[in-house]
Amino acid sequence: MIKIVLRLISLLLFFGMINLSAFAQDKIERELRIKETEVPKEAKDWLNDAFETIKKPKWYQELFESGYSYEAKFKLKGKFYSVEFDSLGNIQDVEIEISVEELPNEVQTGLNKLLSADYKNSDIKRIQIQYSGEPDDLEDFFDENSLEGILTRYEIEFIGLDEAGDSKLWEGLFSDKGELIRKRKIVLTPSENLIF
Amino acid sequence: MSVGNSFSQDRQFFSGFFPEAAITKKLKNDQKIIFKIEHQDIFYNNSADESKEWQFTHYRTDLMSFFDVKLKPSKSIAFGVFHRIQEGANSNRVIQQFASVNRLRGMKLAHRLRTDQTFTKGESMEVRFRYRIATEIPLSGSTLDPGEHYLVLSNEPIFSFQGGEFEIENRLVFSLGKLINSSQKLEWSIDYRTDKFIQEGFRTRLWAKVGYFYSF
Repeated sequence: MIKIVLRLISLLLFFGMINLSAFAQDKIERELRIKETEVPKEAKDWLNDAFETIKKPKWYQELFESGYSYEAKFKLKGKFYSVEFDSLGNIQDVEIEISVEELPNEVQTGLNKLLSADYKNSDIKRIQIQYSGEPDDLEDFFDENSLEGILTRYEIEFIGLDEAGDSKLWEGLFSDKGELIRKRKIVLTPSENLIF
Repeated sequence: MSVGNSFSQDRQFFSGFFPEAAITKKLKNDQKIIFKIEHQDIFYNNSADESKEWQFTHYRTDLMSFFDVKLKPSKSIAFGVFHRIQEGANSNRVIQQFASVNRLRGMKLAHRLRTDQTFTKGESMEVRFRYRIATEIPLSGSTLDPGEHYLVLSNEPIFSFQGGEFEIENRLVFSLGKLINSSQKLEWSIDYRTDKFIQEGFRTRLWAKVGYFYSF
């Protein structure tokens, strides 16, 4: 008897699982790897003008509820770059990964203030310096080091354990004076499949 | 006498279907409770009578539960209890685990260290040490988003001590997974297990797995 029940459970699990793939999905926000040929010419041209020495960037399309954008990722002189363009290929911003030590003092102070006020415990996962501005200004910044028209901000990913005892991954955007401009939660995918 | 039969005398091979499901309930203070069921049915066994090599036999069903506490955002310890339903070999087990999951650029890398003690009626206690390394790689883009597929590759050597005997087992698993939404994952896997490296009767077991993981 017990064997029959177990066998039934096994079959139910099997067919039940297949049906589960048809379940409703969360809000769609995806990043897809795409071929260079699918990228608007404007974006490729801007990248070539601003960074003449990069070899082959990896291109991604980011899909949001309201539309999509393009992103190029590459490594240059030991640093990780990600360059974002809108759906027409116009440059939006350039982000470069840096270490905590490279953060200006004012930003470090602002970050520490936020972390100690809102969280019992925290861990910084990733810091990016973000440059935005008009396409020509951004291009001049990268090939001539001209700061004119450039807005510098810092995007910081951290895990924070709040007073309620929940730990979440956050992305905070800070001004170059260390003020928090906005904060959004990053949805983490479960990892139980890897450790149980 | 067929070749298959003489081969089967020293190399046992069996294969079957292996569904598993795990449900995780998140608690306060970064604690979790996990319930998991694993079920194995044998479809083919080369050591059976020739006429019965192809079969559909219940092998075992394992029920387990873990209490998991995060030490740091990426590291956790867990304690588990386990009950096995297997004809003539029902057993109970306690499990201790340390695990770390690192989010790297474009992948997750997980390490799992386990010790467990198994109690089976009429046998001496079996103590095992296990180490599993697993990597999860998204198949579209550098992050895994809802609706996307991923690959998992894992390997786990297991060292066992029982009644003065030492034994080694290895488990290699290759999975194709789908993140259904931010709380559900579905995986199709090939699980290749080899054991009895030291003692007589080298054995391989190949499982077609389907796994469902739900976390809330």
